[in-house]
Amino acid sequence: MAADPRRAGRIRLTGTFLRIGVMNEMQYRINFFLQLVQSLLTVGTGLIILAVVFSKTDDLGGWSRPQLLAVMGVFTLVGGVIRTFIQPNMQRVVNDVREGKLDFALTKPADAQLLVSVRDVRFWQLTDVLVGLVVLIVALVQLTPSSNWQDLVAFVALLLSGLISIYCFWLMLASASFWLVRINEVQELFDGLFRAGQYPVGIYPGWLRYGLTFIIPLAFAITVPSEAVTGRLAWQSVVVMIGFTIVLLVVSRWCWKRGLRRYGGASS
Amino acid sequence: MAIIEVEDLSKTFKVPVREQGLRASVRSLVHRETKEVTAVDAVSFTIDAGEVVGFLGPNGAGKTTTLKMLSGLLHPTGGRCRVLGLEPKGRPAELLRQITLVMGNRNQLQWDLPALDSFELNRAIYRLPRTEFVALRDELIALLDIGDLVTQPIRNLSLGERMKMEIAGALLHRPQVLFLDEPTIGLDITMQRRIRTFVADYNARYGASVILTSHYMADVQALCKRVIVIHHGRLVFDGDLTALSERFTTQRTITARLANGEEITIRALRADTASATTRLLADHDVVDLTIEDPPIDDVIEQVFADAHDTP
Amino acid sequence: MIPLYAAHMRQAVLTQFQYRAANYFYMIGMIAEPVVYLVVWSTIARAQGGSVDGLTPGDFAAYYIVWTLVRNMNIVLTPFAWEERIKDGMLAGQLMKPVHPIHEDLAGFMGWKIVVLLLWIPIAAVLVVLFRPTLNPTLLQGVVFSFAIWGAYLIRAIMQWSLGLITFWTTRVAAVFEAYYLSEMLLSGRVFPLVLMPKWFQTLTWYFPFRWSFSFPIVALTGPIKNRDLFIGLGMQVAWTLVSIGILYLVWPRAVRRFSSVGG
Repeated sequence: MAADPRRAGRIRLTGTFLRIGVMNEMQYRINFFLQLVQSLLTVGTGLIILAVVFSKTDDLGGWSRPQLLAVMGVFTLVGGVIRTFIQPNMQRVVNDVREGKLDFALTKPADAQLLVSVRDVRFWQLTDVLVGLVVLIVALVQLTPSSNWQDLVAFVALLLSGLISIYCFWLMLASASFWLVRINEVQELFDGLFRAGQYPVGIYPGWLRYGLTFIIPLAFAITVPSEAVTGRLAWQSVVVMIGFTIVLLVVSRWCWKRGLRRYGGASS
Repeated sequence: MAIIEVEDLSKTFKVPVREQGLRASVRSLVHRETKEVTAVDAVSFTIDAGEVVGFLGPNGAGKTTTLKMLSGLLHPTGGRCRVLGLEPKGRPAELLRQITLVMGNRNQLQWDLPALDSFELNRAIYRLPRTEFVALRDELIALLDIGDLVTQPIRNLSLGERMKMEIAGALLHRPQVLFLDEPTIGLDITMQRRIRTFVADYNARYGASVILTSHYMADVQALCKRVIVIHHGRLVFDGDLTALSERFTTQRTITARLANGEEITIRALRADTASATTRLLADHDVVDLTIEDPPIDDVIEQVFADAHDTP
Repeated sequence: MIPLYAAHMRQAVLTQFQYRAANYFYMIGMIAEPVVYLVVWSTIARAQGGSVDGLTPGDFAAYYIVWTLVRNMNIVLTPFAWEERIKDGMLAGQLMKPVHPIHEDLAGFMGWKIVVLLLWIPIAAVLVVLFRPTLNPTLLQGVVFSFAIWGAYLIRAIMQWSLGLITFWTTRVAAVFEAYYLSEMLLSGRVFPLVLMPKWFQTLTWYFPFRWSFSFPIVALTGPIKNRDLFIGLGMQVAWTLVSIGILYLVWPRAVRRFSSVGG
């Protein structure tokens, strides 16, 4: 780990960037309100769809109503975090690579990966996090048997680790842009595939499930935390998932550094 | 014969005004504060067929706004204008077929395809008969010297080359009136010169009228005998370029080269030019003598400065 | 008019063919949506003893695979495009031409569909192998389907083009567009086959254009549908196309007037 002063510096830097990002976004207060309306509309539609599903059946692939509601809450929440913190930054990296604007990353003393990961914050997308949280709480209230504190702890841990794995995945995608030009389309592809996270990954046929779980850590970010919060998960799985996340962190950072080195060598 | 008639043309915009702070933002939700900005203020002029007229003025003076009103993109808030006898306001198709608008730095051609394909598209849009279309197209390609570029996708071309394509595309339907809005902006000197030459040639060949806005003096000097200077939305000068210089300069520079190799430069007020020159010739052994107006850029600057002072 | 459409379509085909990789990626990402619905409904069907309201997993597979074709056919100019168009001067350029700007978009997207159709065939083949749909349309169904997909396109294209014109009056359009999309989601047959819904809901969908751009063409091909309903459906498509054109006639001149008074 880095020496103390550098770590403190990094934290302060992150804080500053986040604050600037937030201040920028705060100018668009009306947008916040409108965004809230949009989030509510989207979740509302999702709830209606769930209601239709539940008019025909009592459970879906072994998941009860409150459990599926919880999945939807987590899905909305995770989507909100991705759209607020992760996606804007990673998409900007891809654009900057294409336009050769990453030179600052090679010259500023602060860590480049940190810089490019926190500079863009779409503050108002947090409405999704808000709405998702509300849905989740409603689901947990309806849950029988109710979750206990171990479930909740496991949930938070797995949610964080799931979000980190999604960040790593996006980082690897963005790093691929150092080699491939057409990475924008792959990002759009991922956007489309993200929809699959609305339902527990278990209902998909085997081949699709493995793709989602390992190639795209959707299952990690959504299904697994949902399983945790609804008490369906064994604690051993928690350990495995967190381990996997750590591996992803290391691998993605390596990809990033390799890519940056290539960029530094190639830019004129 | 007048093809453009402008009478007291005015354009005012309502611009939103918002103050700082949370309170004001909330208030602005319910009630929009606006203030009126006059972009063009009672401008009048007439342009005859075949003229090449330059609209000159600093940024934001109202030249582009005037041009947009003449091409039908903006509706005047006061006064009237007619182009080729028609009111541009309703964008009558009959008028659109006879005019063209080229905006500097703006792309109207298909980005991913060669210009030739975009030209074909224009042929379909304007319903141009094939043989005449091909003949004119090839003439334009030759005049602009873009023969080897028309088969390349537009995105592969440089800014100047793209501008040439835009111009070619804009002239395929043989418009009688050309509106050129900052056509040379962002281009290098050589390209600017080439485009100016082309416009002059085109006007000579086809007798089309050209209205050109620019803040590059060189554009106007090269092409326009007549300039209209617009400042703060008002027409400040309308006439010959040389007359502009004459009216607005108060000083001239007299340079004399003497027999012993020295050079004397004196500045004299316009009215005193003759007497100053006589004195110079009498006092010194002059071998060569030049009397110059100040550079036209300085003149224009002075025009603006004067206009600014006038209420 | 025809040479104009032919010219635009040709340009679109040439351009989009250059972007075939991008098109492919987009299409593959797009099938996630129907596959999710397909799996959900098939799971329910299997749990309920083989079918839901008479629809088997094979029927759902047929519905959602045909869905992918209909969906590709009804992709049109997004209403969000207008903000950019006004800002970057593209609109000004279009207004200077003696033809209505909608033709460029209608023809351009039509040309694009030709490329999309070609790219779609292998994707459909893969989906058929993976999900084994039950599909036995009659000849009449096939013929009506081939018209219905273009009707679906026209209705959605003209409607959304008019919808986008709201941008001329305000830039805070996102919520309006989203509300439109979400109503469409529920009322069109995009998320669930409309036959699964109660009668009152199905009747409600007749009063909106959405089902005629999604559900009708899909069901025309997959069935079950009576011959009579095939023709009624086509008639409704014609009616809704006329309604869209009517809306366009009302809104466009006002939008241009607005643009001409405030300059975009």
